[in-house]
Amino acid sequence: MGTLGDIVFALCALVCVTAAIGVVIQKNPVYSVVCLLPFFLGMTALLVLLQNTFLAAVLMIVYGGAILVLFLFVLMLINLSPEQLRADYSPWTYGLSALGVGMLAGAIAVFSRLGTNGDLGRPFAAVPLEGTFGSLNSLSRPLFQQFVVPFELISVLIVVAIVGAVLLTKKRI
Amino acid sequence: VFTLTNCLVLAGILFAVGAWGVIARRNLLIMLISLELMLNAVILAAAAFARMHAVTVQQTRQLHAGETGQILALFIIAVAAAEAVVGLAIVISLFRNRESVDARDVTELRQ
Repeated sequence: MGTLGDIVFALCALVCVTAAIGVVIQKNPVYSVVCLLPFFLGMTALLVLLQNTFLAAVLMIVYGGAILVLFLFVLMLINLSPEQLRADYSPWTYGLSALGVGMLAGAIAVFSRLGTNGDLGRPFAAVPLEGTFGSLNSLSRPLFQQFVVPFELISVLIVVAIVGAVLLTKKRI
Repeated sequence: VFTLTNCLVLAGILFAVGAWGVIARRNLLIMLISLELMLNAVILAAAAFARMHAVTVQQTRQLHAGETGQILALFIIAVAAAEAVVGLAIVISLFRNRESVDARDVTELRQ
C-alpha cells in the first residue's frame, strides 16, 4: 500500500477526471480545449505508468500535438461571438444526463470489479515486467506481420479523411 | 492502488464523463471533444488489459505478450485522428452555411 506508483496513479486519475469534467462544464469552448491539455498529460502519464511507453509517445504527439491544435485552430477560425454561444445549460438536461451517466459509470465500475477478481486483481507493481514490453521494438513485429492489412487500411482511411475534409470545406472545387 | 480493476474503473468514469458531454452539451465542438474523451478512455482500458495480459503470459514464457492490445490502442488513435479531421470539416462547412455551431440549428433531417 502507498507505493510511489499508487500515489502517481491516484494523482493522474484525479487530474484526468477533473480535466474531463472541466471540458464538459466550461461554457466557452476555448476553455474546454485548454482543459483538454492536462487531460492528455494525465493520460500520457498513466500510459507511461502502465509501461506502454511507445503508446504514450504516440498519444502525446497525435493528441497533444495534432488534434488539440486542430481543435484550437478551428475554434479561432470560426471565432464564435458571445451571443452565438447560446446557453445549452438547461439544468434539467444537465442534471438528468449527469444522473444517467453516473449510473453508467457505477455499472461499469461494478462490472469491472466483478470481472477482475483473483489473479487479475493483484497490483501491477507486484509482478514486474521483463524484456521489451511497450517499446517500438516489440510492437513493430506484430504490426508488420500479423496486423499488416489493417495497418495498410489505416493509411487508406487517412487518405479518405483528408480528401473528405478538403471536399467538405472547399467552397468551389 | 494501481491495479487492473482501478484502471478499468477510471476508464469507465472517463467514458461516462465523455458521454455526459455528448448528451448534455449542444455545442458541436464540445460534443466532438467529448467524443475524444470517450475514445481516450477506451485507449486506457486497452493499455491496462495489454499490461495485465503481458504479466499473465510472462509466466508461460510466450513471446509477443500483450502487444495486440497496444496495437488496438494505436489503431484507435489513428481512427480518432481521422474522425476529428472529418468532424471539424463538417463543423466548418456548417458554420459557413449557418453562422452557428449549435446542434439545435441543424434539424433538416428530421423534418
